Amino acid sequence: MKIVMCVKETPSTTAEKRFGADMRLERRKEDAIINPFDEYSIEEGLRQQEKHGGETIVLSMGPATATDTIRKALAMGADRGVLVSDPALAGSDAVATARVLAAALQKIGFDLVLFGSAAADAYGGIVPSAVAEFLGLPLLSFATKLDEDGTTAKIERQAEVGYNTVETQTPALVSVMKSINEPRYPSMKGIMQSKKKTIDTMSLADLGIESGTVGAGASGEKALSAEKITTQRKGEIYMGNDGAAERVVAFLVEQKVL
Amino acid sequence: MSSSLYFTDEHEMFRQTVRRFVEQEINPHVDEWEEAGTWPAHELFAKMGPLGFLGLTYPEEYGGQGLDFWYTAVFCEELARINCGGVPMGITVHTDMCTPALAHFGSHELKQQFLEPSIRGDMVGCIGVTEPDAGSDVAAIRTRAVADGDDWVITGRKLYITNGTQADWVCLLARTSDEGSYRGMSLIMVPTKTPGFSVSRKLRKLGNWSSDTAELVLDEVRVPRANTIGQEGMGFMLQMQQFQRERLVGALLSCAQMERIVRDTIAYTRERQTFGQPLINNQVIHFRLCELLTEIELLRQLNYHCVRMMVAGQDVTREASMAKLKAGRLVREVVDSCLQYYGGMGYMEETPISRAFRDSRLLSIGAGADEIMLGIIAKIEGILPGKQKSR
Repeated sequence: MKIVMCVKETPSTTAEKRFGADMRLERRKEDAIINPFDEYSIEEGLRQQEKHGGETIVLSMGPATATDTIRKALAMGADRGVLVSDPALAGSDAVATARVLAAALQKIGFDLVLFGSAAADAYGGIVPSAVAEFLGLPLLSFATKLDEDGTTAKIERQAEVGYNTVETQTPALVSVMKSINEPRYPSMKGIMQSKKKTIDTMSLADLGIESGTVGAGASGEKALSAEKITTQRKGEIYMGNDGAAERVVAFLVEQKVL
Repeated sequence: MSSSLYFTDEHEMFRQTVRRFVEQEINPHVDEWEEAGTWPAHELFAKMGPLGFLGLTYPEEYGGQGLDFWYTAVFCEELARINCGGVPMGITVHTDMCTPALAHFGSHELKQQFLEPSIRGDMVGCIGVTEPDAGSDVAAIRTRAVADGDDWVITGRKLYITNGTQADWVCLLARTSDEGSYRGMSLIMVPTKTPGFSVSRKLRKLGNWSSDTAELVLDEVRVPRANTIGQEGMGFMLQMQQFQRERLVGALLSCAQMERIVRDTIAYTRERQTFGQPLINNQVIHFRLCELLTEIELLRQLNYHCVRMMVAGQDVTREASMAKLKAGRLVREVVDSCLQYYGGMGYMEETPISRAFRDSRLLSIGAGADEIMLGIIAKIEGILPGKQKSR
C-alpha cells in the first residue's frame, strides 16, 4: 500500500504573526514547524503502514527550505519525501495549492492520502476537499478512527453528537482529527536515519502545470487587511442587597450555567 | 544564542524531541512527584529508551546511539526545562554517572547483562560510592568485598544514593584488598535483588524532593567476581574518571537551569508593578540580572570547551572540575538574587524559584564538594602543599 501524507510548513503557533505589504504572512525560517495538525496524519500514515506494510511518502508544497520540515516527518519514520517548490507558486491560495498537490499526487501514485484537518496558520481547512475534487476521488473528512484493508477505507467521522461511520473504496483521501492518535516523538535513531532518506523536489514544469494557473496572480483568494484582535474584558459588578443576588442568578441562567 | 556554531541540524532535531518529551511526559507530573518524594523511573525510562535518550554516546552494539558528546550537552540543556532539579538528576545519574565506567571498561558479558537493558529502559541504575564516613573523601570507604572462590561477598553501607529505592543495580565501589587509601578498591556491578541487599530507608532532603535518595545496606551480598568492572583494584581510578563525566553533566545541566531561572525572573519582573513601574526598570535589578547572564555565558563557554575536549578525547579533569566548581557557586548566587526579586511570593514553597533555591544547593556538595574541586585543581596546578596526608 502506498500512503502519502500531505504536510505544510507553518509558523510556530506561539510565533508573532507579521504581514508583508501584500498582506501575506511573513514566514521566518526560525519559526517554521510542521503544521501541528499534520502530525496526526503523519502518525496515522505510519500506523497504517505498520499494520499493512507498503510505503509512506511525505508530500509538501513550499519554499526550498521546507525540506527541513519534511525531514522532521521522515525522522518520525516516513520512508521518503517529495517537495513541490517553484518561485511561481508564491501567493497560491488554497485552491491553487490543491491543484498542485493533486498533480503531484497523480505523479507519485497512492492508495491512501492523509491530511490534517486544517493548517494552524490560516485555518482554512479547504485543501483536502479541493484536492479530492481535482482528483475526482472521495474524501473521508474529520476522521477520529481509520480502518483500511487495502480495498476500502472506513472512518468514524466526528459529528456534533457522536460520530458517523463512513466508508469508501480506495484510492481515497482522508483528513484526520486530533483525537485519532497520539503522534510519536522522533527517536534518535529516526533522526539519524532521516538524513539518509531521499527528498525529491518537483517544479511546476515537472508536474506539467502552467505557471499562470497558480501563484498569487491566479488565486481568487486575496487578503485585504488584517487587524489585531483586541479583547476587552469587562466585568459587571452587582453591589448591595438590592436585587444583586437575583441578577447574579439571572445571569447564570442566561449563561446556561444553572 | 549562537547555538548554531556548536550544533548541527540533527542536534537541533534531537533538541526538539527532548523538549517535547519534557513538556508532555514529565512537566505535567512534576508537582505530584515532588509531593510523593519519588519519580517513576521505570515507567519513564520505558518511554525514553526506545527514543534513544538513554545511551546517546554508548556503543550501538549495546543499543546505544554511538553519538558525540554534543548530544549529551543538548540532552542536559533540555532536561533543564524540567520544573525541578530532582528528576533531571535521577535521569542523568542513570545515563551519565553510573554507566560510563561500565560502558568503557566493563566486560562484554557485563555490558550485555546491565548496560543493554539500561539503555533500552528496562533497568534503572544507581552509583554507590558515598558512605556514612566517606563522602567526597572517597578513599575512606569501608564497604568491603571479600573474595570467596569465584564470588565477592560484600558487606557495608552506602548513603545518599540517588535512585536508590528503585534501582535494579548499583555500580558499587568497595574495598577488595587491604591496601589502604585509594588503592585496593574495585567497582562492582551488584543487582539489587541479590539476597542480603536492602534499602534501609528513604531519606528526606532539603531539596530535589522528587528524586528518591536512599541508604543501602549490604549484608554478605554474594555476586560473581566477574561483575568487577575493569581490573580488580582499579576501582578508585575508574570512579575518578567516571566522576569527570558526572561533573561535566552537572555543570551543563545547571548552566541551562540557571539561564532559565534568570529568564523567568526577567519575565516576572517585567510584569510585576511596584511604585508605578515594572520592577525590572530599577537599574539595580536589570544590571544584576545582566551580571548573572554574563556569568552564566562564561560558564556555558567553559562547559562547551569541556565538551570539545571530550569529543577530541582529551583529559577534562582540570576543566570539568573548574566548571563544576563554578556552577555550584554561581547557581547559589543566581537563585538567591532571583528569589529576592520575587519577594514574598518567591518565599512560598510552591513557586518554581523557591524549589530551584532548595534544589540547587546540592551542586556544591554532590559529585565531589567545591573544596574537592579546588583540591583537584590545586593538585593539577602543582600548588597543593606537600604530599596528601596519609591515613
